[in-house]
Amino acid sequence: MAMNFWSKGPLYNPSEEHAALRESVARWALANLDEQADEHDAVEEFNIGLFRRMAQELGIFGVTVPEEAGGLGMDATAAVIIHEELSRFDPAYTLSYLAHEVLFVNNFFNSSNADQRERYLKKVTDGTWLAGMAMSEPGAGTDVLGMRTTVRPDGDGWRLNGTKQWITNSTLGDVFLVYAKNEDPDGRSLSSFIVESSWEGFSVGRKEAKMGMRQSPTAQLIFDNVYIPRENLLGVEGGALVGMMRNLEIERLTLAAQSVGIAMQATEVMSDYAINERRAFGKPLSAFGQIQRFIGEAYAKTEAARALTYQAAKSTSADTRNSLGAAAAKLVATTTAEEVARNAIQTLGGYGYTREYKMERLLRDAILLSIGGGTNEAMQKNITGDIVRMIRR
Amino acid sequence: MKVLVTAKRVVDPDVKVKLDGSGNLDLSNVEYKLNPFDEYGVEEAVKLKEAGKADEVIVVSVGTSDSQKEIRTALAMGADRGILVEVDEDEDLDPLTIAKLINGVVQREEPQLILLGKLAVDAENNQVGQMLGALTGFGQGTFAYRLDIEDGYAIVGREVDGGTADVKVALPAIVTADLRLNEPRYASLPGIMKAKKKPLDVLTPDDLDVEVDAQVRVVGYELPPERAAGVIVADVDELIEKLRNEAKVIG
Ligand SMILES: Cc1cc2nc3c(=O)[nH]c(=O)nc-3n(C[C@H](O)[C@H](O)[C@H](O)COP(=O)(O)OP(=O)(O)OC[C@H]3O[C@@H](n4cnc5c(N)ncnc54)[C@H](O)[C@@H]3O)c2cc1C
Repeated sequence: MAMNFWSKGPLYNPSEEHAALRESVARWALANLDEQADEHDAVEEFNIGLFRRMAQELGIFGVTVPEEAGGLGMDATAAVIIHEELSRFDPAYTLSYLAHEVLFVNNFFNSSNADQRERYLKKVTDGTWLAGMAMSEPGAGTDVLGMRTTVRPDGDGWRLNGTKQWITNSTLGDVFLVYAKNEDPDGRSLSSFIVESSWEGFSVGRKEAKMGMRQSPTAQLIFDNVYIPRENLLGVEGGALVGMMRNLEIERLTLAAQSVGIAMQATEVMSDYAINERRAFGKPLSAFGQIQRFIGEAYAKTEAARALTYQAAKSTSADTRNSLGAAAAKLVATTTAEEVARNAIQTLGGYGYTREYKMERLLRDAILLSIGGGTNEAMQKNITGDIVRMIRR
Repeated sequence: MKVLVTAKRVVDPDVKVKLDGSGNLDLSNVEYKLNPFDEYGVEEAVKLKEAGKADEVIVVSVGTSDSQKEIRTALAMGADRGILVEVDEDEDLDPLTIAKLINGVVQREEPQLILLGKLAVDAENNQVGQMLGALTGFGQGTFAYRLDIEDGYAIVGREVDGGTADVKVALPAIVTADLRLNEPRYASLPGIMKAKKKPLDVLTPDDLDVEVDAQVRVVGYELPPERAAGVIVADVDELIEKLRNEAKVIG
């Protein structure tokens, strides 16, 4: 049943194209994602066939890449719409899409040169290649600048050595955007490279067993003296920090959008169950005050998280930075998704705890969103840091 | 070959329509979409173009300016250009008026094939295609589940009571689409971005020399009576007993 109680208007669909995009993605997700989500969660395998079919049927790759460069010329709001609508039915599938589209394609495009676009853009936007991004390491997550993967000049290129941890799409990916430190004395200068998985010295570690996001493959990437030719340096040598920070903003926004999708789905499921399905003591569950608190707070908080996420998306692009807005949206939306999914399970009682109503899967998936792309504690730290810079006397 | 295909804006059939206090439809919180049967028509037209059998696909909608959205959806699916025959919101439109307006477009564009949905899921009249046949004098194949174009003919596989029947209709022809005709594609994001730049002309009934004067008007809406709650019977014997003595449907 379509539930029409969510806010509408230009904040959510700023143009006719945004509205048409939302309608198509929502229909596609309902028809294709819902039916495969439980099964792929259970077997912990990414549905790569569906991913390739999505490239043909929806063409939602290169969304934020300008049209003249062969992309779709849309904005962060369009990316948020897509992640919200897909995540309602399968957050794990959506996470792998995010790693491909936001962590690789958007990131790659913003730092690439014409030759690199020529060589890679088509392959990653027509569904031929699956991509990902490797930043985190076994000993460096939040403290990303503590990374120890290095590049050393060799001939006309570099030799890459190190290990990346929890890399989404690692087991199936064809190409990765990899951050590494230059072996220089100050130890802060980062470079980014395009690394293909077929190259000598590239290997993938054991696939991680996870609480949630099970359809999305996560594993280590191990680089053993991988040779990177000069033409695969992304941007300028030692200058990757700006691109990394810039891309974290749209990553956090789309992770917030995924959280919003989960919270919307949970609110709809609990409302329908309490109003139309389950009766107790001769009344629908929605007649009880404690259940009204679950529904009322789920609706209000989800609307708030959604409004904040779209508001932040309005001012996020490669040129107009908005780290404060993206961090705030991620903090609020991820917390909301966890709370609302948890309360949906409570509203559904025993049925909520079983897999039949899918809420337990959404809750397991939601928890990752408070960790990946920067933890909620890191968001609190970043927000305060930004505010300190703005108002310190 | 030029193909004209219709695209009506209808209330999303998945939403529950309510009535307001005075017996009118409460449309304050409903979503609109392209009539699903028109979607089959659009898909078929685009497939004919992809197969090299059609050169141009023109999509036409009769409605308020809001119907541009449904035309854009059809353009995003692959139609080439759109025509909106714009009418006022409070204008009554009956099937004959709509057929006359579409006929006006047919006279201007002279398509060889006109594809329509067999009905629109809002009013479910199932009349416009047939009336358009009478107005144009073209042959028609209604309730199509299959369509082939060969040597100046449309071969239409039709859904009929108890089976199917094939008819061969000389072009120009009118075909109305039924459920099994095809599986409509999604409007892809590249399609949506291209649709933005495709031409969409707006015409008025005056431009087409059609007087809007509906002979059939909706005078009111009523919801079906609420059904009484069912009962769970213990066994087949009780069911038979109730069917015989309470419902009196078996002897
Ligand atoms: C399923 C999954 C997919 C992932 N995909 C990718 C990927 O594709 N690419 C990639 O590069 N990475 C990926 N990651 C890694 C992810 O970005 C990191 O897990 C995340 O940044 C947190 O780092 P950490 O796990 O090392 O935690 P830590 O940094 O070790 O943090 C541990 C705890 O300490 C807190 N903490 C740390 N520093 C501070 C501080 N300064 N102030 C206050 N609290 C602090 C944290 O909030 C947290 O609670 C993925 C992770 C998972 C689980």
